[in-house]
Amino acid sequence: MTSLRHLGPILKLFWNGDRRVLGYGAALSLTTALAGIALLGLSGWFITATGIAGATLATALAFDVFMPSAGIRLLALGRTASRYGERLTTHEATLRVLARLRERIFRGWALPQATHRLAVQPSRLLFRLTLDIDALDTLYLRVLVPLLAAAGSALVIAVALAFVDIWLALAVGATLLSTGFVLPLVVARRSTASARRRAHALEVLRGRGINLVRGQADLAMTNRLGAQVRAIEEADVQLAAADIELNRAEANVSVGFGIVGAALLAGVVLAVARLAESGQIGAPAATFAVLLTLAGLEPFAALRRGAVEFGRTLLAAQRLGPSLAATPCRHRENFLHTSGTAVNVARVELRFAGTASSAVTGLSFHVADGERVALVGPSGAGKSTLLGLIAGELAPTSGSVAARPSTLMTQRTELFGDTLAGNLALARPEATEPEMLDALASAGLGEFITDLPGGLGTMLGEGGAGLSSGQARRLALARLFLRNAHIWLLDEPTEGLDGATALDVLHRTMERALGKTVLVATHCRREASIADRILVLREGRIVEDAPRHSIAFDRILSELRPD
Amino acid sequence: MSTTGATARIAQAAPRNAVGLRATSESRLAGVAPSTNRLAAVLQVVAALTWIPQAGLIAYAIGNIAEGVGADAALLPALGILLLGVSRTLLDRAGTRLVFDAARIKLGVLRRHAALAIAGQSPMDASRLPSGQVASALAEQAEAVVPWLARYRPLRIKAAAVPLVILATVLSLSWAAAIVLLVAAPLIPIFMALVGWRAKEASERQLVRIGDMNAFLLDRLRGLATIRALGAVNRTALRLRDDANALGRSTMEVLRIAFLSSAILELFAALGVAMVAVYVGFHLLGELNFGAWAGTLSLAEGLFILLLAPAFFEPLRDLSSVWHDRAAGEAGLAALERLARVTQPIVGGLEDVGTKAHRPDDALSVAIEELVFRYQGSAEPVFTGFNLAVQPGEHLAIMAPSGCGKSTLLALLAGLAPSAAGAIRLGGEPLNGATAARLRTRIAWLGQQPHVFSGTLAGNVALGRPDIDHRAVYRAMTVAHINGLAQRRGPSLIGENGAGLSGGETLRLALARAAAGEGTALILADEPTAHLDADTAAEVTDRLLEIAAGRTLIVATHDPVLAARMDRVITLPGHPNSEAKS
Repeated sequence: MTSLRHLGPILKLFWNGDRRVLGYGAALSLTTALAGIALLGLSGWFITATGIAGATLATALAFDVFMPSAGIRLLALGRTASRYGERLTTHEATLRVLARLRERIFRGWALPQATHRLAVQPSRLLFRLTLDIDALDTLYLRVLVPLLAAAGSALVIAVALAFVDIWLALAVGATLLSTGFVLPLVVARRSTASARRRAHALEVLRGRGINLVRGQADLAMTNRLGAQVRAIEEADVQLAAADIELNRAEANVSVGFGIVGAALLAGVVLAVARLAESGQIGAPAATFAVLLTLAGLEPFAALRRGAVEFGRTLLAAQRLGPSLAATPCRHRENFLHTSGTAVNVARVELRFAGTASSAVTGLSFHVADGERVALVGPSGAGKSTLLGLIAGELAPTSGSVAARPSTLMTQRTELFGDTLAGNLALARPEATEPEMLDALASAGLGEFITDLPGGLGTMLGEGGAGLSSGQARRLALARLFLRNAHIWLLDEPTEGLDGATALDVLHRTMERALGKTVLVATHCRREASIADRILVLREGRIVEDAPRHSIAFDRILSELRPD
Repeated sequence: MSTTGATARIAQAAPRNAVGLRATSESRLAGVAPSTNRLAAVLQVVAALTWIPQAGLIAYAIGNIAEGVGADAALLPALGILLLGVSRTLLDRAGTRLVFDAARIKLGVLRRHAALAIAGQSPMDASRLPSGQVASALAEQAEAVVPWLARYRPLRIKAAAVPLVILATVLSLSWAAAIVLLVAAPLIPIFMALVGWRAKEASERQLVRIGDMNAFLLDRLRGLATIRALGAVNRTALRLRDDANALGRSTMEVLRIAFLSSAILELFAALGVAMVAVYVGFHLLGELNFGAWAGTLSLAEGLFILLLAPAFFEPLRDLSSVWHDRAAGEAGLAALERLARVTQPIVGGLEDVGTKAHRPDDALSVAIEELVFRYQGSAEPVFTGFNLAVQPGEHLAIMAPSGCGKSTLLALLAGLAPSAAGAIRLGGEPLNGATAARLRTRIAWLGQQPHVFSGTLAGNVALGRPDIDHRAVYRAMTVAHINGLAQRRGPSLIGENGAGLSGGETLRLALARAAAGEGTALILADEPTAHLDADTAAEVTDRLLEIAAGRTLIVATHDPVLAARMDRVITLPGHPNSEAKS
């Protein structure tokens, strides 16, 4: 099973984490299983022994009832306590692993290449990620713990049976272990393909649902609404087929356990009858052996679901493994230190993997300290790519980029479900409250914050929900103000804002930009008009470089969107 | 045994002619024949009950051993144990299969109704759920319905039936042992209920909290570009871990209570078994001489009772272990049913299924008479007695400030929202439930935000329309000037929501989509030049006019340049309505 190697990074994560708690959980689980087995075995032995002793008055009086009956009660209580402890410990261990897993996944995705991949298909990848994390959640609880408990109890049963008869012990132990592990393993292996199909069908179903909602008008007007509904049904039929395969796989494990269990029980009954006939064991030992066998298969039943879910877990491990194993790489180191120059780009070409043509090519220019440069050109001309190169987020395929430390304000306002202060502190963790209030006031949120009853401690919803788009943009701006970077890279800073708000935001930005170098990627006149110089990009090349007060500058401005 | 059979049944349960169907509440709630579920439950209960004779045979065989009967006497009981065990397994499997397939078919039916309802809901309805929520209710949340129906429900029936039969069997041998079980069993539900109220609430809270942990991660991943730009990757990762750990600690507080309920169940089950064992033992020793109907129990009878005791508690324990399946399943069902509610339907069926009737190419006239429309839950109507006449082939611009109902008017003309009163005639034919789907096949639509489906560019032009072959796609792409783009892209896929396409490219794609339709006689365009730079806007206008030659064109726009190129410009009457979308 070569795909098992994908589990490596995950198991390592488990092992490097709280292996003590993980171990306690497994040990308690084993204790619970053993207490259950012992309870049944001891009870059976006790009843049989008392039954035989009770046959005559003399033996009845001599029989020590205290130890066994106390033992039975102790096991009953002990089993409950150990089960409670087991559930607490295993869940605590799981929660700790989850915390580590989420941190590692975040770090993995925070690498530049991954960030870029995420930007292209955010909702699909994030959906997949959620399901994968959930699938890994069950690895410890549904697979590792039951596996250990089952193996441990099979061994203990074999040892206990060895006191009855060594060959019986070997036979029962071997059967329990071989069926208990081989069967789930075979089924887990077989169901991997179904699990994969299932995960795929669910993604397809989800994607088609999103298309139905977002593209409803387009579908209605092209006579394709019914077809889209049928496409969703087809995805569900695929999903159902995979569901049913997995259900059958789980049922097959049950059937296998059931038949082997019945055969084992019948065999042990025959064996102890022979042993008793030959006088090697008495009836109490016979009962003990039968009941131990009976209880012995129970821990394996817990592996049933784990076996089927294991396929899904493997798929998740395969997908998440790389991001867990990834080592964080550092930001580009070639910062410029010479004074006078903020950015120096020389013969840069960048081609994204899997695309036919370069995103930018033959780029050479330099930006002086304190200069304000507007990058204009149609969408897809390479403006955002250029900003990414200067920020060090993207590495050029050839050529060189050197720049002083910079910070980027993304085109889409990105805020987080956190307090206002928490959102601001992302830019500068050591920022004091007055500094934050000052930044907010500069961004035009001064009144807003004084009117807020919660002040800086006000919680925002996911993605900054609860703010208007203007307020959100201003908050992002305040965050930019707090950041001590020499270069500001602004990607369409006022896109989506109404005219008055946009002008105000722009005005405030320029007020705080004294002494900074500013590069702004834009479509609209108001943003470009603040620049000392306009660079025009077309299909990844700079086609014009126009300083302020030149004819070209005014012509380019007049061609931009006027609002 | 084959899975293909079950799949075929499910495929049949989703009939091909779904078109035009509307989800009715009766058909939504009518699941699969309840007799299947009853049969499945009977099979599973019978399977559980085969343990009674099996336990009897085990006890009988050991009784024989104790009495020193020869080993050959164990042959028949052993054979019985084997056969009963095998038949129990097979019966249970049959029951599990039936109930699972029934549950899965039911899920398919629920999903289909939800999809039909989503498709039939007016896109103009403001109460529509966002696509992410719809997708999640339709896909992963709905999945929880199956475990609830297939695992929880049968176990509930088992928990009601099996303990009763076992109790009766034990009672037939010993009233004292039966009393021990009887005392332990009702205490379980009582204590469970006491702890369970809190436990249920706690486990739901825990689910929500685990959900929070995922939400936090996703929220941060969505804003990764900013986190990287601010150099906050490490801090955010540490914060994520700290928050997750704190969440873990508080979750544990909750779980401590939640697990109490199952601990109590375990305790009573274990004590019940222990008490039965101790009672039987002392009884066999002759120290507890009461409790059996026939004086004293034999060893075999005593063992039999002991073997039955754990089976008495087992269904209850199983039930408690799938408790959360119910909450998740009910939530999944509720989410699906919410999707299946249609408040404001689109006019007509989902699809024109008529035979490819004669579709004249000539332009459509448009006549609107005394039109009345108001949004759901809005008192102020958008239109009251609105009239408009457009000649065939006329190009008309509708100008109005935001919120005056330009987009609404276009949607009404396309039958994407129902009018409250008045009439709309296209080419003299009234637009109503019977004609809308067919009339729509003659209308091309350029929405404000054309949706880009994940797939290729050519696939996005054709949209799977059967009458559009690759030649038609090529022609449409040529007219819309996206040939160059198509060549650069080749067969590569377009990203989510058209990632990688600019606004102008998306619009030209929508133009190609409109141009590809053969019988188009009327083009409705909603602010086609908004958010475009001047060059691109001019180009898009040229393309639009080229496609609209000889066809009726109605454009809703703010753009004076575009409006100037139309035959006629009208301004909508009425006040801006804050609830209307422009």
